[in-house]
Amino acid sequence: MKNLTRLAVLGVASALALTACGSSDSDDSASGDKVIKLWLAGETDTPEALTKWLEKEYEADNEGTDLKIEHIDWGQLVPRLQTALSDENQTPDVFEVGNTQSPTFTSVGAFTDLTDKVGELGDDIGPESFVEAGAYDGKQFAVPYYWGSRYVFYSKKAFADAGIALPTTLDAFNTAVVELKKKSGDKNYSGFWVPGQDWRNGISWIFANGGDIAVQEGDSWVGKLSSAESVKGLEAWKNLSDNASAAPKDGLDAEAWVPFNNGEAAAFMAPGWARWSVPEEMAADLGGFALPGNDGAAAPVFAGGSNIGISAKSKNQDEAFALLQLIYSDEYQSLLAENGLGPANPEFTAKMGEDEFAKSAVDAASNSKLTPTSPNWTEVETSQVMEEFFGKIAGGADIAKTAADYDAKLAEILNK
Amino acid sequence: MAQAMTDTEAPPGVPATAPPPVRNRRRRPAPYLLLVPALATLLLGLGYPLVRQVAMSFQEFGLAQQFGTADPGWIGFDNYVEILSDPTTWAVIARSVVFCFAAASLTLVIGMGVALLMRSISTVARLILQVSMLAAWATPLIASLTVWNWLFDTRYGVVNWLLVKIGFEGMEGYSWLANPWTFFLVAGVIVVWMSVPFVAFSLYAALTQVPEETLEAAQLDGASRTQRFRHIIVPTIRPVLSIVMLLQIVWDLRVFAQIKYLQGAGGTVSETNLLGTYLYQLGIAQSEYGVASAVAMVMLLLTLGLTFGYVRSLLREERAS
Repeated sequence: MKNLTRLAVLGVASALALTACGSSDSDDSASGDKVIKLWLAGETDTPEALTKWLEKEYEADNEGTDLKIEHIDWGQLVPRLQTALSDENQTPDVFEVGNTQSPTFTSVGAFTDLTDKVGELGDDIGPESFVEAGAYDGKQFAVPYYWGSRYVFYSKKAFADAGIALPTTLDAFNTAVVELKKKSGDKNYSGFWVPGQDWRNGISWIFANGGDIAVQEGDSWVGKLSSAESVKGLEAWKNLSDNASAAPKDGLDAEAWVPFNNGEAAAFMAPGWARWSVPEEMAADLGGFALPGNDGAAAPVFAGGSNIGISAKSKNQDEAFALLQLIYSDEYQSLLAENGLGPANPEFTAKMGEDEFAKSAVDAASNSKLTPTSPNWTEVETSQVMEEFFGKIAGGADIAKTAADYDAKLAEILNK
Repeated sequence: MAQAMTDTEAPPGVPATAPPPVRNRRRRPAPYLLLVPALATLLLGLGYPLVRQVAMSFQEFGLAQQFGTADPGWIGFDNYVEILSDPTTWAVIARSVVFCFAAASLTLVIGMGVALLMRSISTVARLILQVSMLAAWATPLIASLTVWNWLFDTRYGVVNWLLVKIGFEGMEGYSWLANPWTFFLVAGVIVVWMSVPFVAFSLYAALTQVPEETLEAAQLDGASRTQRFRHIIVPTIRPVLSIVMLLQIVWDLRVFAQIKYLQGAGGTVSETNLLGTYLYQLGIAQSEYGVASAVAMVMLLLTLGLTFGYVRSLLREERAS
């Protein structure tokens, strides 16, 4: 019998040893504090100074709590949320989600309904398109966290050397960047960096020509990539891809500043925070302007940024709302703005600064657009449908035919 | 198992005193108890998800069901009908099977070559070869994928640079991942590179079991190098060969990380999906858990079907010995 016990112990021990590999590492909060979990997207999108401030202030305001902030990589965000949000023991209490990803989660009840409480966060929160993306069925589930807009970064010297004035219309811009490449005489040089699969910037050429991705007609979504306006925009963009850029036809929008920093591109388009990826010694040469439209105003750009909300399964609803209030506090909104992230409270937009970058950001945001607000849009993004489409156009596929094919693909996904 | 337990014959070559009497062995609970943790972990870790997966493949199960806002309804074979009537699924299956056999065969041929090489080179050279293969084998997946991706980079990659240097001017700025054919070429190179060390080591170990005397005798009888390889070496190491091929087929059929990574680095997703990434796209990206479960079941059946022959021949060999 003694032998048997020993064997049983051995059995249990080895089973435990097998499972031990999967156990998670423990946290510093051994004192039995209530843990509030906040999931933020991207490793550095919310700068460390801001998360430090949040942790310190929140724990000071709320005795006996421990705010744990986790940074989730953008690529992992949706899958992680899909599994964690449905389990009350795993769910973050408050979480950030990309603005275009919010409809996926609002439509299935993953967020706590904030309709009655939005007033407590501020009177005039925005941008409006973000608030809409966070609403579903007349209820408000998620609120804007920060916004950013895409604008053009350029080398002042490159434009001056080529004797090209800053363009004020889209047509002038298109001509200018082709000219820049031609004058350089170097086939590896880009007047404007246009990676083939970079649809988030390329979409501006569609928008500026009056085209769209997809629109809702009655109860169903209809793809608009093959509309005459969209095709016109795509042709202009394809011309840039061929004649202004040396970027790979299968290139993505990530790290668009690399060729610029290497002196191999005169201009690139990226969200405002790209500015901090250009090295200090090049800062004097770096300029920015909002992509101009053909009507003289800024061209519509794809609005970047995030929404934030409370998980419906969170066991700490009150504490979670307190955290949301702290995020909407004047101090935190100022901190966001000072770090170049567009604040949800427009009173603090001015804090983004007075320089040309802040001005470009605000200009570009004045005419920003979101992707179709279908709950299925996330699927378009995770399946990389738009990357494929732009990549094929850049690669030389027939524009009208390819656009019609992808309109069909979009309709199939969005109308599921 | 039962057969092994009642088998009273001592294995050849083992002294008769070594195995304890059968009567005694049967009463001892230790072997069974030692199996318990492994079985329990297997049941918990694999059994439950498998049962859940089978059930889900017959259900309508999406994000709404996951969050409990809608009940999963039983829909019979609808998920299966949906995927099997979709030409995309068949394209993915065909692509996966071709890729799997191409990669597995190439791995085996190269692995065999390296194993034979290791037998005939000096100790120092062999050690260098073994250490470098171990390093390749031990490199973390994402780290090595990053390096491979850089090698094949359109603008800065050393592969394009080298090809231009040796005269292929057209390869300047070539996007390897944009075209599905070159995409799979790159993916194949990476997959094979990662699998060769394991195959080479296994086969090298097997080769040490080939009796030198037999080879020498055959040589004296005038058997050529090829004849010796075909008629002595291959039959001797056949069990190892089959098991390595079996493992390679299973691994290469469910290849995921390499494809997923390369798709993220510029590949055209819809034209480069293999079963693993297709499954991920349906299940994780589109939250169609029901449909994805059905694809997973098809993948399971496919794996069983493809490996059936190997498993049967393995069992036959075991029984024969």
